[in-house]
Amino acid sequence: MKEEFTPVIGLEIHVQLNTKTKLFCSCSTDYIGAVPNTNVCPLCLGLPGTLPVLNARVVEAAVRTSLALNCTINHITRFHRKNYFYPDLPKAYQISQYDLPIAEHGSIEIAGDDGSVRKIGITRLHLEEDAGKLVHSAQDGRLSGSRYSFVDYNRAGVPLAEIVSDPDLKSPAEARKYATRLRQLVRYLGVSDGDMENGSLRVDANISVKCSDGRWGNRTEIKNMNSLRALERGLEYEIKRQSRLLARQEEVVMETRHWDDSKGITASSRSKEEAHDYRYFPEPDLPPLILPDDYEDGLKSDIPELPWDKEKRFKEQYDLSDDDILTLTENAGIASFFEECVKAGGSARRSANWVRTEVLRFLHENKISLEEFPVKVSDLAEVIGMIDSKKLSNTAAKQVFEALAATDKSLGKILEQSGIQTGGIGGEDLRAIVLKIVEDNPEIIDTIKSGKDKKDKKLKFLQGLVMRETRGQADPGEVVQLIHSMIEQ
Amino acid sequence: MAISEEVVKRVAMLARLEIDETEASSMAQHFDGILEHFNRLQELDLEGINPFVMEGIEGTPLREDEVRPWGNRDEALRQAPDSDGDFFRVPSILGEEDKI
Amino acid sequence: MKLYELSASEIVRGIRNKDFSAVEVLRSSLDRAGSLEKDLNAMTAFSSEEAMVQAASVDEAIARNEEPGMLAGVPVLVKDNMCTKGINTSCASNILKDWKPPYNATVVDLIENEGASIIGKANMDEFAMGSSCEHSAFGPAHNPWDTDRVTGGSSGGSAAGVAAGYVPLSLGSDTGGSIRLPAGFCGTFGLKPTYGMVSRYGLIAFASSLDQIGPFARTMEDIALSLQVLSAIDPKDSTCSRRQRPVFNSALQRESLKGRKVGLVKEFSEYDLSPDIQGAVNKTLRTLEDAGAEIVEVSLPVTMTSGLGAYYILAPAEASSNLARYDGVKYGHSEPSDDLLNLYLKTRKAGFGDEVKRRILTGTYVLSSGYYDAYYLTAQKVRQVITREFNAAFAQVDSIIMPDSPAPAFRIGELIDDPIQMYMIDVFTLPVNLAGLPGLSVNTGFSSQGLPLGVQLVGPKWGEMQLLSQGSILEKEFGSAKIADGGEKR
Repeated sequence: MKEEFTPVIGLEIHVQLNTKTKLFCSCSTDYIGAVPNTNVCPLCLGLPGTLPVLNARVVEAAVRTSLALNCTINHITRFHRKNYFYPDLPKAYQISQYDLPIAEHGSIEIAGDDGSVRKIGITRLHLEEDAGKLVHSAQDGRLSGSRYSFVDYNRAGVPLAEIVSDPDLKSPAEARKYATRLRQLVRYLGVSDGDMENGSLRVDANISVKCSDGRWGNRTEIKNMNSLRALERGLEYEIKRQSRLLARQEEVVMETRHWDDSKGITASSRSKEEAHDYRYFPEPDLPPLILPDDYEDGLKSDIPELPWDKEKRFKEQYDLSDDDILTLTENAGIASFFEECVKAGGSARRSANWVRTEVLRFLHENKISLEEFPVKVSDLAEVIGMIDSKKLSNTAAKQVFEALAATDKSLGKILEQSGIQTGGIGGEDLRAIVLKIVEDNPEIIDTIKSGKDKKDKKLKFLQGLVMRETRGQADPGEVVQLIHSMIEQ
Repeated sequence: MAISEEVVKRVAMLARLEIDETEASSMAQHFDGILEHFNRLQELDLEGINPFVMEGIEGTPLREDEVRPWGNRDEALRQAPDSDGDFFRVPSILGEEDKI
Repeated sequence: MKLYELSASEIVRGIRNKDFSAVEVLRSSLDRAGSLEKDLNAMTAFSSEEAMVQAASVDEAIARNEEPGMLAGVPVLVKDNMCTKGINTSCASNILKDWKPPYNATVVDLIENEGASIIGKANMDEFAMGSSCEHSAFGPAHNPWDTDRVTGGSSGGSAAGVAAGYVPLSLGSDTGGSIRLPAGFCGTFGLKPTYGMVSRYGLIAFASSLDQIGPFARTMEDIALSLQVLSAIDPKDSTCSRRQRPVFNSALQRESLKGRKVGLVKEFSEYDLSPDIQGAVNKTLRTLEDAGAEIVEVSLPVTMTSGLGAYYILAPAEASSNLARYDGVKYGHSEPSDDLLNLYLKTRKAGFGDEVKRRILTGTYVLSSGYYDAYYLTAQKVRQVITREFNAAFAQVDSIIMPDSPAPAFRIGELIDDPIQMYMIDVFTLPVNLAGLPGLSVNTGFSSQGLPLGVQLVGPKWGEMQLLSQGSILEKEFGSAKIADGGEKR
């Protein structure tokens, strides 16, 4: 009988919170691109005699995130010291949380591989401080062969929220979906950039494999997966590796492994003799954090519509495909832009299409964010409305769009200059133009009047003049009617 | 219940403290003496005692999220036993690749 | 009377009254310290220039009729574990021997803002770990009353400096008795405030949940004055209480203790107290009784038998973590090494003294995997029991009388080879830290050998007022602390 191996996966996700200052001191958290060791102070340098003081906004961010994850908030929560020696850890201990994290017992829904809704448990969310950065001196940045390492403490003390899932994830694809959902959530909440590339979102996995004959393999921890794709690939590889071992009746060693993206393998991290005896004990420099009973109430109004709620509402409110909805709601700003477009008069379908294609493409090609997008949503809505009412062709609209994006001219100006007036020409304006043409061409009028206009050639000529004058914005039939009525007079 | 020198050496490594044979031996002796006091604590009736009181205490204060630059980082770098420009410098980390 | 003989309060009054200048007072203090230092070794560093600048600015303020501060012109010694910006702060350790902090401890800012002049840093046991001030990289301090004897520790230099008349006021820190014991041995007043009363920001940590900064002085008036300045609320220390501080010197007015109850610990009878100390305790009780207090027996069984065990688990545990940052990477001593592991191992081997190493190893052990429950957690539970015992006692009494130590100052070298015997010296002081209570050491006189005899008054949490009033009544009976005239040799 062929054995089957079922993976059991849990993810630990570290989210860097984007408060202005660090977790325990008033240094700036804006370390990317900063000169090394400039966002530092005696506390985050681990100088003797310094003491931590907790950042109020970090607590808010953590609680908001926890509420969005349906967690129970612990109104009495405390910090622990995690003791180990490493140059990027200035105090030789990290202030983290251990037995009383700020939030526990939550959940989040993802789409299962079979399309069903899967509820993934969140064990806990806790706060801890980030370490500094180590830079290595070998030319290619590798560790081996370098004589020195260089330490930058700008990042030391930056606040992290660690979110630990229950081992509920059943496949690498699910793990990826979970991580994607969590990334989306923290961006929606505005508590983090959630960027795996710059390290503001880091994912570690715990994975073991269960055999169909009942055997459980040991679990391993996989680190260094720096993108969603790496996460999926790393887990796929590890499942294969563990399954092969178990199929050969060999043991899976319980250890930490790191993903090597260039080689496409996980490799054992050098295990330390004493493993990790972190000697956790409660942080004596910080009394427990006691949150008032109504602490959450104060924050509930700061929680925006969550991604899954927005998806549901879009489905009910707009006639759009599921795929459209997912794309539009992936980013709260884009979703908002879309909705404003609809509110300003654009049709839902067309607005969705335009946002998905033109807007997103423009942002991507020019490497800018929605905040930097030069086209006003009201302008876009108007253009879309003009396509809806057939006053603009798609091609013309695209040109208008490009002009809107490239220049800072108003929409009206752009339309005027490209010969397209908003709303078409009719009524008194058209009358005046027809009158002028008629008055300017008395011989032609005479010819038509005397019935000598064979095949309406002269009439068509006049109509052509009017159309040219109105830049095609007049209704041709209406023009002929007007010419006739004026001739009769 | 004697504490072996092996245990002492393991603890010393955890604490990143190099000790020689004499120190290990005298520390093992010291442990024996002090552990007598520690072990006596086990004879007390501590049933139901919560080691950490968390009610009726002043909770930790909260700080507002405003940047206050320190302005003295040059002095901190000057005091570094080894530095290179804007960095603190340490000798190579032998085989600690897992700390990526 | 020499200027260095004046109390801090007298100096402030005299300066405001323009009887003398701050610079004159400072010179008297520096001369006194300079003449005795070779015999006493109470200091690790002088900061005469900085002190002069301070004194001069006080004199300028006086000249302009501006407010010069509550400690105007007072020369002060600060224990060498409190950060003084730009001035050596070594904790009497080789690992920080030449370290100059780039910032001030809060208490340093507080006293300097009130016009005090810091003449230098006081000798201590390395990282505050010790009871004799013999574990110092700078050599032992000597007791001004008998230079062959210890000052007591760990704030030995702070006590000696006041007892010898270098300064009328000094700052020490107390984790297990390190203010009260040397105050007793050197014959001064010394106060360990309630945990959370004084900011620890800038105090180089030994055991974070036990450390408190407090004053040494020769008069109760000075204790009250300095406590007022030191106890300002500090948002930089999350363990510094935000409750309002009282006006401490109003407690000094109290003449009668009628209606007050003073506790005598029943379990003392089981202790081998020296007859001199026993006599000092009895004298103290009688004086308080004469002032109207009722003496009540209280029982602290677990406290007296288990305090030592609990303390020597918890304090080293916290210390092992607090001292892990001394790794040769960012500051302090560093041993050149080819790899990181050896940088750590050799730096810490070279930089720490034997007692510090013992405590780091003990602390690491009791926190390590497999031992945390049996030792650390058990000790925390014992700590709760001790706290409850004190609380129960304070439901019956307003203060508890205890000795500072079983006997007066011992000889230098007498206990240095027996660490555990040395630990036992703190048996009466360390439970007070475990429970976070305030403790005041009062000098009651001298033994037949001419050694100071101190007695400890312990109060409930935030009970400083009670200690100050009782201390001041005892001061009326036993007198203010005297200055040891010239480093007497016996």
